[in-house]
Amino acid sequence: MRAALLICAKDLRARLRDRSALLIGIVVPLGLAFIFNGIFSGISGGGTVLNLGVVNADHGLASQQFTSEVLPAVARSGLIAVHPEATLARARALAANGTLEAVIVIPAGFSAQVQANQPAAMQVIGNIDDPVSAQVAESIAESYAADLNRVRLSVATVAAGRGGPALPPAQIQALSARAAAAVEPVAVDDVSAQTKELNQKSFFAAGMAVFFLFFTVQFGVTSLLEERSDGTLARLVAAPIGRASILGGKLLTSFVLGVISMAVLVAATTLLLGASWGNPLGVAVLVVAAILSAIGIMALIATLAKNAEQAANWQSVVAVILGLVGGTFFPVSQAPGILSRLTFIAPQAWFLRGLGDLRAGSISAVWIPALAMLGFAVVTGAVALTRLRHLAEV
Amino acid sequence: MKAVWIGLVNLRRMFRVRANIFFVFVFPMVLILVLGATFGGSSTPRLGVVDTGSGPLGAALLRQLEQTPHLKVVTVSDAAALLTQVGRGNLAAGVVIPPGYDAAARSGRGATVRYLAQENQSSQQLGQTVRGAVARQAALLGAALFAAGQHAVPDFSAGLAEATRVSPAVPSVSVTQTTAGTSVFSRTLGQFDEGAWTELVLFLFLTALTGSVAIIETRRLGLSRRMLATPTAPITVIAGETVGRVLISCVQALVIILGSALLFGVSWGAPAGVVAVVILFALVGAGAGIFVGTLFRNEQQASAISLLLGLGLGALGGCMVPLEVFSPVLRRVAHITPQAWANDAFAKLVGHGASIAGILPQLGVLAAYAAALLALAAWRLRRVMAA
Repeated sequence: MRAALLICAKDLRARLRDRSALLIGIVVPLGLAFIFNGIFSGISGGGTVLNLGVVNADHGLASQQFTSEVLPAVARSGLIAVHPEATLARARALAANGTLEAVIVIPAGFSAQVQANQPAAMQVIGNIDDPVSAQVAESIAESYAADLNRVRLSVATVAAGRGGPALPPAQIQALSARAAAAVEPVAVDDVSAQTKELNQKSFFAAGMAVFFLFFTVQFGVTSLLEERSDGTLARLVAAPIGRASILGGKLLTSFVLGVISMAVLVAATTLLLGASWGNPLGVAVLVVAAILSAIGIMALIATLAKNAEQAANWQSVVAVILGLVGGTFFPVSQAPGILSRLTFIAPQAWFLRGLGDLRAGSISAVWIPALAMLGFAVVTGAVALTRLRHLAEV
Repeated sequence: MKAVWIGLVNLRRMFRVRANIFFVFVFPMVLILVLGATFGGSSTPRLGVVDTGSGPLGAALLRQLEQTPHLKVVTVSDAAALLTQVGRGNLAAGVVIPPGYDAAARSGRGATVRYLAQENQSSQQLGQTVRGAVARQAALLGAALFAAGQHAVPDFSAGLAEATRVSPAVPSVSVTQTTAGTSVFSRTLGQFDEGAWTELVLFLFLTALTGSVAIIETRRLGLSRRMLATPTAPITVIAGETVGRVLISCVQALVIILGSALLFGVSWGAPAGVVAVVILFALVGAGAGIFVGTLFRNEQQASAISLLLGLGLGALGGCMVPLEVFSPVLRRVAHITPQAWANDAFAKLVGHGASIAGILPQLGVLAAYAAALLALAAWRLRRVMAA
């Protein structure tokens, strides 16, 4: 035990002295988290209110109802900001240059047509590069149109049901009034779903941290290969310490480096970047499980390689692939079918999933992701250990 | 001539490390594929719908939602699973049509559907689209209820049948849509186009920077001292290193451009323009890579810093999120990076069908960057080689 600790202490001193562990474990992930967050924060749109222009060329009853009742109700929900525009030309120009995201136009004679049971049309002008906002404006207009159509359809259905000659205008008026006063047959209730996704800052912090973790833990086991080629492994084996101590020391180095790296990153991103990782105990459980899974996988690869350089190359390739598939570069939650399922072959995905679920719920949300990562650790670690025993036999 | 040989040796050394084949060729292609599949093309939000036990009217509402443009309906088994998927972001939002929907609608008591969404802008917007679809069905239901109430039809079902029958003939209030403004891109981009050129720019620079590690190796192995011991002028060695980097970049660009064109149908625009941008940007990368390589003695330190610089400058230059969504201020700042100018050039070539004449300003800036960085690199390399 003491020998293992000594070996670990020696390795740690060596790594910290050459600064590469500090760079990969702390500086690079922290730097990238800052840079990515800075850039993504500087992106226009997404989260801002939709500026909706309204051109009311009509001023009749139906159009007044739209502009004074329907639109303000939608505006109160915070979705849109209504900008009345005097002329169609000006509104179109504003939509063209993007000042307004969309424009609803009520042409002159609209209310008269509605009243007279004739076809009527509202117009939506959208920006060619912003189909989403145009769709929203269209939906608002269509909801209102559907309500007007409901009244018309109600009257028409009554007329058809009764059969016989067409209804006199007075009766149509009366029926229309009654139909308009009828209760809405279907209502839509808004229910808030608690988010289980990491916010932007937390995503970059956690994603970069867990991505580079797989590079940080390489230093432990790969150093075993380096010592073999340097000739110092033979001397360690010749010493009166068990082989287990040598292996233990190396694995402990990886573990300690992982813990230091993740601890510093969690603290630094929380304090400097404003990331919120969540319940500290839950985060600790997930972090330890992630470190163990990283050690297991990287150790297994190292045992399959012939020398330290080959090991480092293969480890980098696997770390990058798992990072990409696991969603550390960009969220793969809405990715098409196979990718969103494939993501769970990477421990990184379980780590991010655990943090996301932790955000919404209690600490019990971390058990399944932690167990999954431990599963990775146990399976790969077991295979690696059996192979490492041969390695220590120089 | 010696410079070319030195360059070719560099090329061979790079290929001998198998992992490089992954990082230089395979990984960029994989990234282009994943980016294009996930973000390329128009993204249709996915709406989960639970309608178990909601009856024929519920099924009709589901059909109405399925026919709504700009959203994709995914049926989910129960409300709890729906809530989880919406919370995780697998679905943009969810609609629950409850079991009593049919009965409530028929009786005129008023039926309710629940719209589940996270509290953000895009979910609210999708909610508006859902409301539009519901309103369309509500029109039929409302007409049927009204007719039954007025005793014009025997019951609700007859009313619904009658309303559905007369609906096409009723003059309706409709909404027409037109678009204004000119598009950022005059040609419609393919699903993988933008991902392809941005990743090409990112990886050309990143590979050039991480390739700086090879320069450190050259010094460590004593190769540079031995090269200088022969009757070879230092300037030849420097030129050789530069040729090496540029050769690697060109091979990488060739594979990525041809590969993405063949596999993903990416169009790259006027060939002369593409070649010009690639060569100039390769020179920029070569200068930057050699310069970084002369700053460190330790290969691991150099690769860590190269990663930080390559990814950081790439992100700032619009390689991860395209420049056209940057805020105006950030967009100006982005143009201190050579990546932004290269991305601009490609955007013009591919997005606007420009010829090489149309990207001369961008080419000029890239040439200036290349000249400055190569001069800096040459100066540093001269100093450390002899050491």
